[in-house]
Amino acid sequence: MSTRARPDFSFIRGVMTNGVTMVVVLYVILYAVYSHIEAGALSVSAFSDLVNNTIPLAIAAAGATFVILLGGFDLSVAGVLSLVNVVLATHPLDGAGGALISLLIAVGIGAAVGLCNGILVAYGGLQSIAVTLAMMILTRGLALVVLDAPGGGVSDWISDTLTNNLWGVVPASGLVAIGVALLWALFRRTDTGVALYAVGKDQTAAALSGINVKRTRCIAFVLAGALYGVAGFMLSAQTASGDPNAGAPLMLLVFASVALGGTAFSGGHGSLYGSMIGAATLMLLQKVLFSSGVQSFYIGLFQGLVMVVAVIFVNLITYLARRSHRHA
Amino acid sequence: METATVVPTLNVTGLQKSYGPTIALGGVSFTILPGEVHALLGENGAGKSTLVKILSGVVQPDAGSAELLGLAYAPESILAARDQGVATAFQELSLLPNLSVAENLALPALKKGTLRLISRRDNEQQAVQILERYGLDLAPRTPVSQLTLADRQRLEIVRAISKHPKLLILDEPTAVLSSTDWLFALIRAETARGTSVLYISHRLNEIRELCARGTVLRSGRSIATTELGKTDDAAIFEMMVGTRLASFTRDRSALQQAGQPRLSVTDLHAGDIKGASFSVPVGGIVGVAGLDGQGQGDLFHALFGLTPVRSGDIRVDGKPVRVRSPAHALKAGIEVSLMPEERKTQGIFPTLSVQRNVTLGAMSKVSRLGVVCRARGQKLMRDMATRVDLADRYFNFQISELSGGNQQKALLARVLSTGARTLLLFDPTRGVDVGTKQAIYEAIQNYAAAGGAVLLYSSELSEIVQLCDQCLVVYDGQIVAQLEGDEIDERRIVAAATGHVDGNAIRSAA
Amino acid sequence: MLNSKASGTNSNAQPGPAADNLARGEDTRGAVKWQRETVSAAGVFVVCIAALFLSRLINPEFGSLHQLQTILTLASFLIVVSYGQGLTVLIGGLDLSIPSVITLGGVLTAAWMSTLAPGGAWWQIPAILAVCAAVGVVNALGITLFRIPAFIMTLASGIIVYSLCLGVTGGTPGGAAPASLVTLMSGRVAGLPLVNLFVVVFCVIAAFVQSRTSFGQRLYAMGSNAVAARIAGIRINVMTVSTYALSAAFAGFTGMMLVGYSNGATLRMGDPYLLPSIAAVVIGGSSILGGRGTFAGTIGGAILLTIFDMVITSLGLAQGWRTMISGGLILAAILLQHEGALDWVRSIVRRRRSTTTRI
Repeated sequence: MSTRARPDFSFIRGVMTNGVTMVVVLYVILYAVYSHIEAGALSVSAFSDLVNNTIPLAIAAAGATFVILLGGFDLSVAGVLSLVNVVLATHPLDGAGGALISLLIAVGIGAAVGLCNGILVAYGGLQSIAVTLAMMILTRGLALVVLDAPGGGVSDWISDTLTNNLWGVVPASGLVAIGVALLWALFRRTDTGVALYAVGKDQTAAALSGINVKRTRCIAFVLAGALYGVAGFMLSAQTASGDPNAGAPLMLLVFASVALGGTAFSGGHGSLYGSMIGAATLMLLQKVLFSSGVQSFYIGLFQGLVMVVAVIFVNLITYLARRSHRHA
Repeated sequence: METATVVPTLNVTGLQKSYGPTIALGGVSFTILPGEVHALLGENGAGKSTLVKILSGVVQPDAGSAELLGLAYAPESILAARDQGVATAFQELSLLPNLSVAENLALPALKKGTLRLISRRDNEQQAVQILERYGLDLAPRTPVSQLTLADRQRLEIVRAISKHPKLLILDEPTAVLSSTDWLFALIRAETARGTSVLYISHRLNEIRELCARGTVLRSGRSIATTELGKTDDAAIFEMMVGTRLASFTRDRSALQQAGQPRLSVTDLHAGDIKGASFSVPVGGIVGVAGLDGQGQGDLFHALFGLTPVRSGDIRVDGKPVRVRSPAHALKAGIEVSLMPEERKTQGIFPTLSVQRNVTLGAMSKVSRLGVVCRARGQKLMRDMATRVDLADRYFNFQISELSGGNQQKALLARVLSTGARTLLLFDPTRGVDVGTKQAIYEAIQNYAAAGGAVLLYSSELSEIVQLCDQCLVVYDGQIVAQLEGDEIDERRIVAAATGHVDGNAIRSAA
Repeated sequence: MLNSKASGTNSNAQPGPAADNLARGEDTRGAVKWQRETVSAAGVFVVCIAALFLSRLINPEFGSLHQLQTILTLASFLIVVSYGQGLTVLIGGLDLSIPSVITLGGVLTAAWMSTLAPGGAWWQIPAILAVCAAVGVVNALGITLFRIPAFIMTLASGIIVYSLCLGVTGGTPGGAAPASLVTLMSGRVAGLPLVNLFVVVFCVIAAFVQSRTSFGQRLYAMGSNAVAARIAGIRINVMTVSTYALSAAFAGFTGMMLVGYSNGATLRMGDPYLLPSIAAVVIGGSSILGGRGTFAGTIGGAILLTIFDMVITSLGLAQGWRTMISGGLILAAILLQHEGALDWVRSIVRRRRSTTTRI
């Protein structure tokens, strides 16, 4: 009359179909390849270099994960990154205190854009792809108005400290990423965190279960925007200068990272950890290709291909997982 | 028995609700007493689900009032309804398949531990307590996607009961359950405690076992509240449908018994169907009956190229065919057309006009060299409209603005416009009012009389009895009964559909 | 919206024939309200004219016949590209590979066509268009066979195509424009620019194909309800491949036009057309979900964006403002298209009408 989950098989199946596992394995393999190609790969400086380059993408991908878990799209990531970058580059604030205020400004900008998205999508009922497209264009334009050509300078404290290592070993930017991961771990243990997955899977059932669908949606967009702000902050630390088009090349990579990390675009499945590791894998791939002498323009080619293959792979896994559960 | 001083659990007066041009509820009034299991009866489209939504707080009525235990009851949300003491087990299950049993039971607020963060262990403990109390043997960590449909139904019901409501609403709770013992025991335990139950079901035998009183809805209004013990099936049916049994009689004179059957299926294996064999003669209307999810969907889809056929033989006019896709099915040589189950999601093109919807079935007929000819389109529209009794003035309406019945007629018109010689109709009168049903029956009959062949699935047994020459009953993916002519009656159909083929006396109407 | 129902809603009525009438849901709403597409398309053109008049205030030169011809010439690229984009949006998709395919078409034209005879052989044009269309075919295959969301697939293919162009040309595409294209873009016929006539003819044919052919009708059906379209016998995969192939072909042709206009190709020549192509489609009244909209509206949207561009440039405003305005316009168009907004407008109109005609 009833079914019990057979613990052993389903656990293994769970691990196998868990996107995070796959991408971690991929990362480890790639790193082995990398250390084989490049002599100093296993040194602290090479590693922290890699981490520094990865963090902006990783945090941006983390933000995008919120929206994709809902089954939506967020194109405004590129615009927010650019806008935060030019604001920080044209209004550098000195010292640690200034850096903190700059961070708050960055988060504030991102959250404000996220709030606009959230209100229009959740309460206005508009399509996320259309709204975030419009917001992306608006923020991109605003970035151009603030700074019309690459230039400006980010505050020294930010660009020095956040690209350095603490105690000579641990990259400061890595700590920021760990902070984001910790915040996600906490978020998962809130009602809104559970609601996020519910709404992404079946918003009607979620509503009938008592979840406030609109509010959950709106919160997801705001959190995503805030994380884009943090990503923009870290990006500014990396580049140390402003560029109104700073965010554009990252857009595809953000979605590639999320797909690689095992989050399905249909919503309801996936995790932030996967997206961040997916971002790390992509940047590592870029590094590996670069070190092995592949010409730079082909790197874009590879990234596009990896993106497509990653999505196909995730689709395949979710399809197989659904099939094996259908006859439970 | 003090009737005058008992405060009813629920007292509903004059509830009304409309969605645009469609009146879902036109005035519903009834009363539920404490400790009572009150039945809600009505055919598809009568307004039951809208009433459930209003009482559950999902939508708000346009007019009318309700009182729960004497206090005004107008919940703005599901949570508000729950807080005031109303919990619902929905027909379209409201469980989240990607969450665990324990999480689903606790939604929207899970059990918290330290730091006001969710404690998985506490949540599971709470779930175990609930599951034990109501006799449901499930592991709390199981993702709901791994449960069988029956277990999900049980979980849905337990979730509602676990909120300790004063009024428990059960919407078609036994649709997928093979035995009702567990549920009935649960209900009796609850009513002994004073909880009232609003029980919605198509199955009169179950209702008679559980309920003393019932309210009948028809076309959005409450027709009457009756003592079920004193009312026979025929009377209930009349209240539900509005007429004394069928006013439609099938004219079987045009049936061609001899000659090649239009459609002949042998040992078909596809989807959930295991070894189906039957045939549809030219001019014949063959009915398919069965409980939800017994494979009838796969049968129709396999014949139309939507579900892959694993093995078996399908012949059209004697010629073996392998239907690869819907486009292939409509082509010359096969000419089979499907009227899908859900018009809103599978049938109509909501942003297009009625005329465009209908002519899309016959692009080749209304266009010359790829260019659509407006005059031809209008002519086709008029021809089709007469066949399905669709008024002229609707032609240029956006189809989503029509009532459900008119949309269904337009959908049938499109299916007919393909010129197919075999029609697969899946629940063609679902959610449609009585008058439209008659029009659709006429259209089907005329189609068959003109040489077409019809395979018809319906969840309303009276329809099958009226329309069909032959009836196939599907149970667990197999055709367990083939009834011919006068053998077709509701009792036999239900017996076969529930897996009894020994003629148990089960009184039931649609 | 309930007003017209008032006469029928009588809560004291006894069940019987009256109740059946009630339940049949007599649709007494006014007919022909669904021509909102025509209304919104016309609306865009009205705004265009208004914009032209206002621009005269800024610069008296604007509005002259010569200026109008320039506007139409400048808008021609966007019009052609927006048609392809519009087709993919119509079926509920999106084509983000357009800028790269424009570049592909331009690079192939400049580099390849000048290697054979100075004017290039006539058959090279269809060959180049076929190559561009192949990109569209690949897009469609990813979308239909592998269920990759259109946004992702076209974004990825765009990057891949761009990388290939970059790799092959080494950063600086060589070659010059073949004579035929130069003539198209700068020649004149009977005093009017040849390209203007071309655009007019193109618009007529394109609009006709979209709204009056069975191909076009099927596209609307797919965008309106893909499941129902499949059940109605429309071959979704074939139609999707055709649509994306066409979109890519039109993008490629735009690249050719650009080469003819500026006598050369650059690697970034397609970039300024991605967002405006989407903007033109949305502003013109098409729904981003598909199944709704006309090419006429898109033409209006393209012209409007071109006018704004010229005005902003002449005002000396930075590109940033231009981008923001285009973003703001898209947002406004999306908001206005929302069902709620239109219903609200409709109910106001009906209220005004019902006060003048007694029921």
